[in-house]
Amino acid sequence: MKLVFHGGGHAEDNKALNLEALRMCKDNDPVITYIPACSIDSEGDFLEFAKSFQDIGVGRFLYFPIDVPFDQTMLMQVLKSNMIHLSGGNTFYFLNTMRKAKLMPRLKEFVRSGGVLTGLSAGGIMMTPDISSAGYPEFDCDVNDEHMKDFRALKLVNFEFFPHYRNSKRYEQELISQSKLIDYPIYAVPDGNGIVVESENTKFIGKCFCFYKGKKIVIGR
Amino acid sequence: MAHGRARKNLEDEYSQFDQIDGRHPLQKALPEMVVSYRVRERKGARIAYFNFHLAKEMGLLPADQDEVMTPALEKKLLETFSIIIINEFDEMNGRKFPEKEIKPHRYMATRYLQLQHPNKTGKTSGDGRSVWNGQFKGKGGKVWDLSSCGSGATCLSPATAIQGKFFESGDPSISYGCGYSELDEGFSTAFFSEIMHRNGYSTERALLVLDYGGKIGLTVRVHPNLLRPSHFFAWLKQSDQKALEKLVDQWIFQQVKNKVFVNLPKTKAGQYKLCLDWLTDRFARTSARFEDDYIFCWLDWDGDNILMDGGIIDYGSIRQFGLFHSEYRYDDVERYSTTIVEQKQKAKYLVQTFAQMFDYLKTSQKKNIKEFSNHSSMTKFDEIFEEQKDINLLEKIGFNQKHTELLLTKYRSDVYEFRKVFAYFETAKSSEGLIEVADGVNRNAIFCMRDILRELPQLLLARGVNARLDADEFIEIIRSSYANDDDVKLTPTMKSKITQFQDLYLKLVELVGKTSTVLLTITMRSSVINKYDRVTGDAVTTVVDKVMNARPKLSANDMYDVLREFTEFQNLDPDLIQKRDHNKKSNRERLMKTMVKIVREYREGL
Repeated sequence: MKLVFHGGGHAEDNKALNLEALRMCKDNDPVITYIPACSIDSEGDFLEFAKSFQDIGVGRFLYFPIDVPFDQTMLMQVLKSNMIHLSGGNTFYFLNTMRKAKLMPRLKEFVRSGGVLTGLSAGGIMMTPDISSAGYPEFDCDVNDEHMKDFRALKLVNFEFFPHYRNSKRYEQELISQSKLIDYPIYAVPDGNGIVVESENTKFIGKCFCFYKGKKIVIGR
Repeated sequence: MAHGRARKNLEDEYSQFDQIDGRHPLQKALPEMVVSYRVRERKGARIAYFNFHLAKEMGLLPADQDEVMTPALEKKLLETFSIIIINEFDEMNGRKFPEKEIKPHRYMATRYLQLQHPNKTGKTSGDGRSVWNGQFKGKGGKVWDLSSCGSGATCLSPATAIQGKFFESGDPSISYGCGYSELDEGFSTAFFSEIMHRNGYSTERALLVLDYGGKIGLTVRVHPNLLRPSHFFAWLKQSDQKALEKLVDQWIFQQVKNKVFVNLPKTKAGQYKLCLDWLTDRFARTSARFEDDYIFCWLDWDGDNILMDGGIIDYGSIRQFGLFHSEYRYDDVERYSTTIVEQKQKAKYLVQTFAQMFDYLKTSQKKNIKEFSNHSSMTKFDEIFEEQKDINLLEKIGFNQKHTELLLTKYRSDVYEFRKVFAYFETAKSSEGLIEVADGVNRNAIFCMRDILRELPQLLLARGVNARLDADEFIEIIRSSYANDDDVKLTPTMKSKITQFQDLYLKLVELVGKTSTVLLTITMRSSVINKYDRVTGDAVTTVVDKVMNARPKLSANDMYDVLREFTEFQNLDPDLIQKRDHNKKSNRERLMKTMVKIVREYREGL
């Protein structure tokens, strides 16, 4: 399994994580697919994303919005990519769209077959058991306009992912109380930092925070 | 919202608006071209939309002004623009209005040709429900013409010409001739014109939309020069050389002021040549762009519905199709409109009329229009039109400027060959034949060229250029919802065209540089140029309906923000893409999502 979780930020903040993802591709000329959480105005984000990988030598990209009708030709090509990136955005909308597009099993299969799956913010949350972390804290959460009740996501890892983390009292208190409600850890990751999962190994890039059973532990550098 | 500079004196702050008082140089230069009216304040208006961005561009507002409607600005806008003419009906019925409500200067309605008028020489036609607010001299000396649509019934409306009487403004017994305009017309103009402007078209733009309740509105339209060919053709038809010369002089003067014409020749003959060359270029390029961007603009011999620079005016009949619906005709009760492909001939005929016009000015002899059918400007028109068609296609593919220039100068025949096979798919029509649509007739196009142009470079890059799409894959991508199975049957011809399309496409790519590098550039640019969500005319109409429904809750500030967001969303220029702030939450997000949904629903339509 090869996964990269990006805490957030723009392309220039994520170079180290992108290099990790690229390393795991093990291909000199990889194909990278960009899946936006929502296609509205996402072309600019795709350009920024592609440019950041172009700067480190990648030259083949697929842009694959999933909240508009897509053709099977493109889907088949996407699933043959070396790496798929799930962008940031509204997590509820993203999960709803991914379900409607029937992509959840295809992406799991993609990861099982050795593809690298990366996700920024909402995209990262999609790779965890469920997307609950998108719904808190109240002062900084995604709006559930889709009225989703079933939060189950790709479940590729056994932790919850909390992006855009700010090391402040109010975030800390919220995450401590949330961590008491579940049996697995919550990894809280600030912008530019992230987590790399490669087979059984988990590596933290930059300073990250683990909240587990009401406790906070600082991990990474 | 960033704070603007501190304001000390509100009166001074908005003093630029005081320039707009009805006076326009044409009133003095050519009084016979205008019908001037006294104008009074019109009560009961609310600001429905104000285009801050345009106001700043013009220099009406300082560049650092907060984009928020304040009571002081609202007051100024209403004082300046909420007007109604005191027309012939008012005068004949001896209507009295308080002196303090009457503006000091007279406002003009202009005369021009209109084919729907019984008089075909422009003697009784022109601005039927508009008057010009005047001229504004703004930043860097640039001048802007302003006119208000819905400012009362003038004597130049078709209703007056046909029925031989004057009408009261707002007379409910007639619609088009009553002199009012509807609020949704104003919003349609605002939405559509901002999108067109964003994508490089010259167009009238809505500065302000006023709401008078009962769906009645008034729209202030702005452009650096609001003269239409039909203004000139009226004098040509009437063989009034003197008036025509004065109008041309006036137009040239404004072109010079606006730095459109630099190094103006000293002799009249030289000036006329410059004008004709410029007009030929503008009309050839504009009609080629209309055709390739699937823009339906009802051009005809009268030169109405278009500005002198080929700019769009009157959005009532403007459409942007999702596919190349080249056989669509609008049913205007008495006649059917032209089709998109017939626009070229109409534009060319306008240039032919310009050739006749300048010749008349030079020789004082008005020759028959037919004598200009082989004029050099006709050949030039065709050459420029063809060149622009090539440019349009190369840009649509996603080639950058450098690539496009190289292909045009060195490999023009290869471009032309690709254009032919591109047209084979683009012009393919449904076997269903001609059908009636909501407001006319059409034979549906069946292929979406934007989809193949967006996906092909990505797929070729990912697979490697030697692994082309097979015919089934190609059809799956390009097929629109209008195509039935018979339409897309893989005949030997179709298969060979699919192969040819990809071969010629790759040939162009290979001609400009390293294949993978060029394909990557094209992939990036094409994802924006050929984005999935491109607005159509029907989509704009439906979006405006939604906005009208949401209106009670939308302030003028909200409308401005909604429109700005929507315009940004419709940007198809990869060089103008802006970095998004993902943390910016908008309270209009739901409306925006609804509008996007509409755009998607109508993306292949009319």
